[in-house]
Amino acid sequence: MAVYERSWRRYQGPQTPLGARFLVVTRYALADAFTSRLFTAFYAACFLPSLGGLFFIYLSHNLKLLEQLGMPQDLMQVLTSKFFMLLFSWQAIPAFLVALIVSPSLVAADLANGALPLYLGRPIDRRGYVLGKAAVLALLLSPMTWVMGLAVFALQASQAGGTWWRDNWRIGAAYLVGHVTWIVVVSMLTLAISAWVRFKPAARGALFAIIFVLAGFATAVNQFTGTAVGDLVHLVRAINSVVLALFGAPTPSGLAVGWNWLTLLAVSVLSVWLLDRKLRAHEVVR
Amino acid sequence: MSRGESPAPAAIELDGLSVELGGRPILRDLHASLCGRAIGLLGPNGAGKTTLLRTLLGFFRPSAGGGRVLGLSLAEQGRELRATVGYMPENDAFIAGMTAVHFVRMMAELSGLPPKAALERAHEALFYVGLGEARYRTVGTFSTGMKQMVKLAQAIAHGPRLLMLDEPTNGLDPPARKRMLDLVRDIRDRAETHILLSSHLLRDVESVCDEVLILKGGEIADSCNLEAERRANRSFVEVELQTPEPGFAAALAALGCELATTGDAALKLVLPDDVSVRDLYAAADRLGVGIRRLDIKRDSLQDIFLRAMEVDRGGV
Repeated sequence: MAVYERSWRRYQGPQTPLGARFLVVTRYALADAFTSRLFTAFYAACFLPSLGGLFFIYLSHNLKLLEQLGMPQDLMQVLTSKFFMLLFSWQAIPAFLVALIVSPSLVAADLANGALPLYLGRPIDRRGYVLGKAAVLALLLSPMTWVMGLAVFALQASQAGGTWWRDNWRIGAAYLVGHVTWIVVVSMLTLAISAWVRFKPAARGALFAIIFVLAGFATAVNQFTGTAVGDLVHLVRAINSVVLALFGAPTPSGLAVGWNWLTLLAVSVLSVWLLDRKLRAHEVVR
Repeated sequence: MSRGESPAPAAIELDGLSVELGGRPILRDLHASLCGRAIGLLGPNGAGKTTLLRTLLGFFRPSAGGGRVLGLSLAEQGRELRATVGYMPENDAFIAGMTAVHFVRMMAELSGLPPKAALERAHEALFYVGLGEARYRTVGTFSTGMKQMVKLAQAIAHGPRLLMLDEPTNGLDPPARKRMLDLVRDIRDRAETHILLSSHLLRDVESVCDEVLILKGGEIADSCNLEAERRANRSFVEVELQTPEPGFAAALAALGCELATTGDAALKLVLPDDVSVRDLYAAADRLGVGIRRLDIKRDSLQDIFLRAMEVDRGGV
């Protein structure tokens, strides 16, 4: 049919693969996120810590340049696991802020005006829908976290040479596993909040409330019982401990790191359950 | 109960389909084979029309039985089935911040169209439903009538084989309602597309559909091929007596008349082929009954519907 004809006919052209249909959800949500210039600028700024880290590593190995700049030539000594842990934090915090900005509208916008039946009335199921929305956060957060983290690791390994990469493989693994874990937990949690709290500022507030209320509750339980059992619900301490354990550093939690992994797993499973409860084409009133 | 045969393969087959929601039975043991180009789902509010539509789309899992839509099994081929249908829900369904063309394009892509084809068809669908000039406006700013039209556009943009419309004329003023029904008829006639129209408005269904399934309390009250009914040209008669006479109804039943509604002084009945109006007057004469009014008309959907609704109330 053509616009000028104002008529209608069946479509009999090629179809996209069924399995990749969830990427349509991702593509449109990504495009929606970048319609804001302010967000685009902020997103670009989130790469600065990693770019700074890359530049520092390059500089610290470039003795001639250091000499020309009149800088001390022992900068290399700063490149310990502490440096990489600090850089990890400077990657994770902006990633959290990006998730905080983007995620509240991801699901809520579809629920607000009943668009979910239109998605689910097509060859995409709830799993595909969640996958599509989660992929938005994964695609946004990955470049500024584990991708840049591995780039930092690779640059340091290439500049240091020898067996540095083999001796410090935990750093690369920590960047990959730690950031991916962080992305999964934050994505699931923020999507669940977005599904249940439709008002954006309230959704953002809810995320902070969950984190701080749980942290406060955990501290109170720890003090009351004189144990570290409260850390089971301390989300921030759990992710901290898991990452530090990956780096091979001492953890702040009084619990074995296995319990911290369990906390993160529980938060993710609970978030998926909440999404499953809310993301239905039609609610059944009992 | 189906009247009027059609040689076409069934678009929708229901095989003992039952649905329970929240522990309550909503649809009970539905058996039907619907072959019409445009099928109307009729019934009073709460009859289960929307639940049936949603079950066909796979939103609700049958508690018993099953069915097929365009030959695709509800239980095993839900995804393939949803790829072949377009769905226009009853309630508001849009993404407020998106422009109409962006919204319809996304929905077409989700149905499997490549991005370029989806964009072309989104433009065309919006022009087709009369929103061509408004296609770059965000859907959230649309009036109720425009929102209904954009819902229709997203349902047809990917060129479905079956179009499911749930109360499409809800909230529309008379010109918009006419436009909507004209479009649905046009879609029905232009391409090999089946229509499944759920409505409680008899006139909407009668003007679009050639087959109806009447639901009542989650069960099939009646189903018929409207085209066959129209062709049969059954004589429907309304009789009003001067004084109540219960024996008159019995006399008419003995003649072979099908009584739709009975009352002491007012009757609605269908005349069999071998009974004429003269026979009614003869029966009245025998019983000494005076006839105040006698209207003859063709069997309308309203009568079929009323008869279906009357079954539980003692209608014959």
